[in-house]
Amino acid sequence: MTVTARHQGLSPSAITQAILLLVALTVPLWGGAYWIHVGALLWYYAILAASWTLLAGFAGQFSFAHLMFAALGGYASALIVLHLGMAWLPLAIVAGVVLAMVIGALIGFMVLRLSGPYLALFTLAISEVVRMILIAEESVTRGSLGLQVPRFFKGDSDIPYYYLGLGLLVAALVLMGYLLRTRTGLFLRAIREDEGATQASGVNTTRYKILVFVITSGIAAVAGIYYAHFIGILTPNMMILPEMGIIIAMSVIGGIESLPGAVVGAAIVYLLSELLRDYGEMRFVLLGLALILVQRFARNGLFSLVERPGKSRPGKRPQAQPGPTPEKSHAN
Amino acid sequence: MSYFSLLTINGLVIGLIFALTAAGLTLIFSVLRVVNFSHGALYMMGGYASYYAIRYLGLPPIGGVVAAMIALFFFGILFEILIMRPVYTDEVERKDEYAIIVTFGLTILLSNLAIVVFGPFSKSPPPFLDGTLILGPVILPYDRLIAAVVAVVLLGVTTWFLARTTLGQALDAVSQSRESAAVIGINPRRMYTIAFGLGSALAGGAGALIAPIFALSPSMGDLPVVQAFIIIVIGGMGSVGGSIVGGILLGLAQSWGVGYLPDPNRALAYTQAFGAILLIITLLFRPTGLFGRIHLRLE
Repeated sequence: MTVTARHQGLSPSAITQAILLLVALTVPLWGGAYWIHVGALLWYYAILAASWTLLAGFAGQFSFAHLMFAALGGYASALIVLHLGMAWLPLAIVAGVVLAMVIGALIGFMVLRLSGPYLALFTLAISEVVRMILIAEESVTRGSLGLQVPRFFKGDSDIPYYYLGLGLLVAALVLMGYLLRTRTGLFLRAIREDEGATQASGVNTTRYKILVFVITSGIAAVAGIYYAHFIGILTPNMMILPEMGIIIAMSVIGGIESLPGAVVGAAIVYLLSELLRDYGEMRFVLLGLALILVQRFARNGLFSLVERPGKSRPGKRPQAQPGPTPEKSHAN
Repeated sequence: MSYFSLLTINGLVIGLIFALTAAGLTLIFSVLRVVNFSHGALYMMGGYASYYAIRYLGLPPIGGVVAAMIALFFFGILFEILIMRPVYTDEVERKDEYAIIVTFGLTILLSNLAIVVFGPFSKSPPPFLDGTLILGPVILPYDRLIAAVVAVVLLGVTTWFLARTTLGQALDAVSQSRESAAVIGINPRRMYTIAFGLGSALAGGAGALIAPIFALSPSMGDLPVVQAFIIIVIGGMGSVGGSIVGGILLGLAQSWGVGYLPDPNRALAYTQAFGAILLIITLLFRPTGLFGRIHLRLE
């Protein structure tokens, strides 16, 4: 059931997505500087949440190291630009993405035998080691003070960043959406459901597990590079565990098995946390509570409730519940 | 030599408290087969529970530890009943992922709630006993000595409970095979609830013990939980004995590491990294750990 590719016509979901995109495109026309800035940051989170969704939600590789790739990309690009000058920016971007993809491949290879909590622990440990290196090697990274990174565009306006971020997000979504509609997408979901059975059916699961790590690491690195040259300062704090918690919450609240869901989840979590800024830490209390409640009572996230009202996936295996719910594709 | 014994004693004391934290984590893992990512937050709650019990109920500091363990036991039971149920019913497909997300969500909730309720600044509970023991080259504050002794007692009681009592053996039976345990009349659901409560109580006890030594703060559980993860992987997931050995090993390694590395700044920054690297290596080459019980290997 979950491994059926969905043929997309002009479904309600596609129309919703088109409307959302139109709204997003017009924000700089009516929103003030503040909302443009918030939007530009939202795209950073949305790219990360969506790529983490592909890794964890679709391929079943629950990783805590996702922000590490964003940090690796950002730091690599920033260091090259700082040492060689802005003229080398294209090289810096490519180097950042390639570095993240190589490390992603390496991690994908290392975790081939690990699953579930072991994989989570492993990626947590590796991410913490990298964070400690970034803090400790002050002569290169300036430690907790952070690197001053030259911005992409001249001037103070955030509008170019807003559209750049939106463009990157759409590109990432199109790429990942395409991937999921190919056989590779089916294999990834099959690995999530039952790796042993997938291997037994002749799928080279090794290859696809490494592939999904490489792709999602590269996308995370793009987000990290965008963030570095937009915010202008890069600290190891961008990859602390609570930040990773925000990405996970976005994905889970939106729906861990849906790319548009991850974007909607990112918007809900990030915009709410901006609106509730005056309430300080209370926002994160609500975030934790929402994470638990959504996971407990709406396994497929809030987006699925909107998309198919009343038909949110009951979360049971289909054979465990014959009859009442007609079998539907929930592969989106 | 005296410097060495000083480092060793300190490492041993801290290692025993690490072991106590890890024992709770490993108990939950062995029975429920999930890693409790909220263990550090429960540890932090234990510290605060003890602090407020001492302050407002007028308990002696040791009484605070007991109060923290009781409070966390009931909190653990409540959370297990309300939230952990889907792990062993057919409600969710990927139970590992479900458990990671809800326990991680609990961490976000509790650690931020602690900032709101208790304030971001650290608090210091009263010491168990003032003064310092000086025995030749060994210099040890009584606080640490008492914490270590209580940790040994609690670890001893836990080991005895699991090996010798009917309830402990029932927990062990469920950890070995849910189906077989159910066949001989053990209710696995009740065992899950009890295991989560006991594990939370051990986390709370460890937090209460460490509170007078270091200070209380909402983020005090962040480091110990990573160390507890490392210990249960090194010691073998699900083995309480393994977590004791692993805890002491990690305590000693850290104490010696910080004591002997040149460039103290960098040594301090990398202290935790050594543990994490140890975890990575262990997972790569021996995912069941040193004393791992083979039936607890995940499929």
